[in-house]
Order: sequence, then structure tokens, then C-alpha cells
Amino acid sequence: MRVLRRGTLGTLGTLALGGFAILALSAAPPLSAQEDAAAAGKVVYDRWCAECHGETGQGDGSAAASMLPRPRDFTQALYQIRTTGSGQLPTDADIRFAIENGLPGTTMPGWPNLTDGEIDDLIVYLKSFSRFFGQGPAPEPLDFGSDPGGGPAAIEAGAAAYLTMLCEECHGLSGRGDGTSAPTLEDWRGLPIRAADLTEAWVLNGGSSVEDMHTRMLTGLDGTPMPSAIDAMNSGVVSPDEVWQLAHYLASLGPREMPPLREVIRVGRAEAGLPADGEEEAWAGVEAFYFPMSGQVVQLPRNFAPAVDGLWVQGLHDGSDIALRVQWNDPSNSPDPNWDEWQNKITAALDLDGAEPIALDSAGAPTARPPDAVLLQFPFEPPEGTDRPYFLMGDAREPVYLWTWDSETGVGAGRGRGLDSVEPLGEDPVTGEATWEEGRWTLYLRRSIEVESDGLDFAEGAPMPIAFQAWDGSSAEVGKRSSVSTWYYILLEPPASSTVVVTPLLAMLLTGAFGLVLVRRAQDRRRDG
Amino acid sequence: MKRYLSHPFWQGAIVIVVSYVAFEWVIGYVLPVIGVASAPVPSSVILQYMLTVLVGIVLYMSADEARWKSFKKPIHETMVARDRKTLRGILMVALPVLIGWLAYQNVRPSYAAPATLRSVHPAPPNQLTFRGETIELTGLENPLHEEGSIEEHLAVGKRIYVRNCVPCHGDLLDGQGHYAPAFNPVPADFTSSGNLPQLTESYVFWRIVKGGPGLPREGTPWDSAMPAWETILEQDEIWATILYLYDQTGFTPRTWEEEGEGGHE
Repeated sequence: MRVLRRGTLGTLGTLALGGFAILALSAAPPLSAQEDAAAAGKVVYDRWCAECHGETGQGDGSAAASMLPRPRDFTQALYQIRTTGSGQLPTDADIRFAIENGLPGTTMPGWPNLTDGEIDDLIVYLKSFSRFFGQGPAPEPLDFGSDPGGGPAAIEAGAAAYLTMLCEECHGLSGRGDGTSAPTLEDWRGLPIRAADLTEAWVLNGGSSVEDMHTRMLTGLDGTPMPSAIDAMNSGVVSPDEVWQLAHYLASLGPREMPPLREVIRVGRAEAGLPADGEEEAWAGVEAFYFPMSGQVVQLPRNFAPAVDGLWVQGLHDGSDIALRVQWNDPSNSPDPNWDEWQNKITAALDLDGAEPIALDSAGAPTARPPDAVLLQFPFEPPEGTDRPYFLMGDAREPVYLWTWDSETGVGAGRGRGLDSVEPLGEDPVTGEATWEEGRWTLYLRRSIEVESDGLDFAEGAPMPIAFQAWDGSSAEVGKRSSVSTWYYILLEPPASSTVVVTPLLAMLLTGAFGLVLVRRAQDRRRDG
Repeated sequence: MKRYLSHPFWQGAIVIVVSYVAFEWVIGYVLPVIGVASAPVPSSVILQYMLTVLVGIVLYMSADEARWKSFKKPIHETMVARDRKTLRGILMVALPVLIGWLAYQNVRPSYAAPATLRSVHPAPPNQLTFRGETIELTGLENPLHEEGSIEEHLAVGKRIYVRNCVPCHGDLLDGQGHYAPAFNPVPADFTSSGNLPQLTESYVFWRIVKGGPGLPREGTPWDSAMPAWETILEQDEIWATILYLYDQTGFTPRTWEEEGEGGHE
């Protein structure tokens, strides 16, 4: 009874308190417009952003550990993509730009599904994560001056400025992110960060136009080792025009957009004989096909942050042999002790999805330095219809024929029955070699079109399925933690045939003659009638 | 204008142009824009359709004597009239060139990938095995509707989705994740009205559990990079992810009652 009474009293007390609270709330002044917006922004944030950027905005959402670079930590107010000076806060328009366009080359997409109003609210909420916003005057964009124009002379001057400004220390002489400092780079959190590969402008975080490149150079990328060029300009190392010329040079280093995907690699006939290696000039005139690569995210352990994001493939044949050239960008020529620290940092920073991390010895050096590797796969038996083996190196039912290469053992052949089942083929008819120069591997492969001892037969004119995988040893990529592609085709150009010319000519002649006869008859009949 | 519209010859010409535009562009490119699932028509099929249209026009025109006469008149005029000499000359050159070009298109070496036909929603099996446990699919409902808190299930589903599915299917659930360009066929777009609203939750469960490797053999190549998620996720995690997919896109799943009426596409 006593207990009950105390409980009843307690309940009454709670009700009374609750009532007072409701009264107090309804008596309070309405929330300010700013708070309203932040509350609306929180709804958007929790729905779309929180899983990566974290509920408290620290960039530590549940999915963050598998991402490199990590999601932005809004509490630090460190924004890479700005129009304001180095170390300054972004403008609202800058934050909007990143939300609308995303950050190419990272896991941050653009958000066309959000309305302008939702983005406005979201910006208010994002800023509320950091106490830096709202103190002092609103940030102002820099004065970027005006572009003096591009052209070959500007690009040449820009190339000189590239060296004057020491860009190559991180980005490398060819711009592939392979500079001598590249293995040591860290972001503000101490996590490893790649020097941007300037030859693949479509994965640049802040956009790929000349203006984008110029803006990024003037503002720097806060939170990364990328500095602002303003100091160099103020101290007279470079002129404002030279920075614009440098932007033109950077934009000239490669295509702005990802090359369009073409499903069939066309292997032309080499009239003057096949090139003997991957360096020969003849390759320059051969059509190159680009294949984007994904992390292997199908079987455990998965790779959510792959190092190799695409391959270029070229092919030639002479009727008896086929030669392929595969090129891809990789800033490290693994195994390379200069990249030990990088390898350790990647191993520590990434969620390896259950993979065994490479152990360190007592001196802190890795006990293994995996090689770089690439493999090409084909169906083991000539494909029937459009049936193809499983794209991850086949399965027990349907094996795949593998052309393998790694930077330690070179070129070989194998039979794959799944990602962890590769059996080397003793007498392998595939030969070739690879060279690494300024952040790019060039792999040359050669083989007879037809080999008696195995099932792989490149019939001219018949599309042969082909798929790829790649590993960067210095990024601790081994085993299933690779980059992969799905199936494409490779097609050997058949010998020129006369029907291509004769048939259309015959069709034209017949049509013309038929027309003439018709008209003549009609006119004769009219005259007679 | 009206004169042309009422003239059989020009009526025929208009039907031919309109049909070609419909087969070549409307079916393949306009319908997807207004949200109807469709794909470009192969050129050989277009040729067949156009021949059918042509035969239809000739049959219609020749069914009536007067109509047939006035249909033929402009053609005849062009062949004989003195004042149409220039037009005649142009046609006598242009038609053979057109035919020659069409012939060339047919015999020139092709570097296109072999055409593959995919059924986007193949018929599901009646049951599946989840790590050895047999589960009846027919009539199967999402068990999470009946247990626990839906908010908690949605939170789990969202965590699973963002960690595992986003790289391919995208943050916006539109099939445009950052790895999507590397996959052929492209990952499924959950915001499309042709996917989630057409399917029961059990169907989605089957596709997630078995992935690309579990697709039926008939109608290959599937080439789907979709993992068989039974190797990575628990059943409840998959059901929670399905709840999240429908909740975040605002679609409602097909029910077993509807299923009985229609069946899968």
C-alpha cells in the first residue's frame, strides 16, 4: 500500500512537472529562423549524411573506417573545396558546391535529390557542428583575377611554373602523384593521403576545369598537404599569370572526363609487324581502351579503397601472334622500401574486412612487401553463345584462363577456379615484361593466337570475353583485396575482305539500273499513250 | 499543308517517318525519360518493323482504286514529267547511294559486343537455402514487421546499406555508386518504379541472399557482380536492409495477393 502510494505520488509529481514543462515551452518565444533551419537541416543530415559523417559530425559514421579519404569532420571546419583563403572558413556557396557536385575521386557523391531549400537548411546545420562559424565577419571569396588565356605557349610556361612551384615533389614529373614526397603525405588526422593524379582530372576532388584547378591552387586544400600558391605569388616566386598558365598546363595533362566505356577492345592488324616491347613508338598510333576498375567488394575480405582505378588496353595482331599493352597509373614501383611507411599507415587506417594485416618487425618495418600485379582472364573453353564464366576468376564449374603478371615473378599463365584457387600452367605460352616509369606501369604481353595445348583460341573476327584485376603492393593489396572489372570483349580484326567493297557497289548498280529501266518504261508508255 | 495531309502519297510518307521516329527514338530513348522501362530497338528489328509498315501502307492504298491512283500519281509524275527533271536526277543518284550505304552497314566488319538479352526480374525459385537452412519463399513475409521496433530495424538496415551497398548502388539508392561505372550490367536503381514496387519483399530477399551467382542458369549471361550476401550478412540484417530500401525510397512492396493476380514481369 505504501509502495503503491509512493508510486502514485511519484506519477502525479511527474505529471505535474511535465505539465509545467509544457507550459514553460509554450510560453517560450518561437524558435529563431536560424534554429528552425538547423532543425530542418538535421532531418536531412540524419537521413542522408549521418551514416558516413557521424551523428555528431565528426566524420566517424559507421561506414567511415572503410573509406580513404575519410568523410569530412565538420567539427573541425576544415573544408578542402573553398573559394576563400588558406585557413579560412568556406562560404555558404562553397559548402553548397560540394553538396551539389560531390567530391569526385572520393565516396562523396553529388546530391541532386535534395532541394535548394533542403541544402540551405543542411548548410546551417553543418555549420552548427563547429564553433568557428558565426564568429567574426562572413568569409569572402578570394580575388582570382582573370585568365590570360591558354594555348601552347601558356601550357609551356605552365610546365615551367610546375617545377618552379615544386609541384613535382608530390605530384611527380608527369603529374601521376608519384613525387618523392608522395609516400610520406598525411592529412590533418595523420591518415595517408595520395598526391592527386593530375592525369586523371575526372577524379580531382574540386573539379577538372582550368578555373577549378586555378581556384584549388590559390586556396590550397585545407586539411591536406596541398598548400596555397598565394605565398609564392606574394613573394614573387610566380606571377598571377603564371599560376593561370600552370592551371592550363594541368588541364592539358589528360582528359577532363572519364573516357567513355567501350565494350570491345579492337585489335588491329599490324601491317609492319608486331612491336617487340611496350616501349615501341608504334603503340602511339594504336587505339587505347579505358576500363574503370572497382574494389573487389563481392567476397570477404573486401577492398573498399582500391589503389588502381582503371586500366588502358591496346592490342595488335599479325595473324599468328597477338600483342597487348596494358598501362595503369601506380605511384609506387612495389616492392619499394620507400613506401614501407605508406604501407603501414594504410594497413592501420583501413578496415581490412577481416584480412590479416601485414605484421611489423621489431624495427617497425613490414615483414612483407607485396608486389604490384595485374591479371587478364579469358574463358578457358571457347565461349558457347554469350555464356561466360564467373567474373571473379571463374568457379569450380567453369574455370578461366589467366595471364598473370607481378613485379616479382613476371609473366605467367594459370587456371583460375575462383579468387583463391589459381593453378599455374606449366608450359605457358604467354611472354612479356613490364616497365615502371614516373608512376605508370606498362605491361607488354605476347602469345600465339592459337595454341594446340590449351583451349584459348583467339579466332579472328569472333569476340573473346576478357576481364581484369589489379593490385598495388605498397597499398597492402594482396589476395582478394584487389581491383576488379567485369567482362568485356577483345576482337581481332579479320583480314580485309573484298565483300566490304563489292556488295555495296553491286547494290548501288542494281538499284540504279532498276530505276533507269522503270523511268524509261514509264516515259515510253506516256509517249506511246 | 492540308492539301498534303489529305493526299494519299504524303499520308504514306508521314506514316513512314512517324513510325521510324517511334521505333528508333521514342521506344528506346523517350519512354525511359518519362519513367517507362524500355531499351533501344536493335536495327534488324527496326528493319522488319519498317518493312511491315511499308507493306501495310501499300495494301491500304491499293484497296481502293481512286486512292491507289492518286497515291501513284506523284511517283509517276516524278518519273515522267519534264519539269521534274532535276528532282528525277537527284533521286536517281540518291536512292542507289542510300541502298549502297545500307548494304555497307550490313557487310562492314562489326566491333560491337554480342547482343545479350537479360530478364531483369527472373522468376524466383519456390525455396532457397540460407547457409544450409531451407526457407520457403512462397508466401514469405518480412518477419521484422511483427517483431521489435521498426525504427531500430531501419537504423540497422541503413547501417548495413551504407557499409555494404553504397559503393555500387549509391548513397541516393539510384544505382550510381562510385564503383558503378566499373560494372556491366550496371547496379540496380532502387529509385526506379520498375524495381522495388514491382517486387515482393521475399523476392528482394532471394536476390540479396543469392546475388549474381544464384541467378537461374537459363537466360545467361547474368554477369551480375552482386555478391551472394548469405556469405556476409545475417538473415535479420538482410530483412532490415529491405525495410530500409522501401522506407528510404518511399515505395511499398508488392504483396502476395497482388502477386497471385499478376506474377513477375
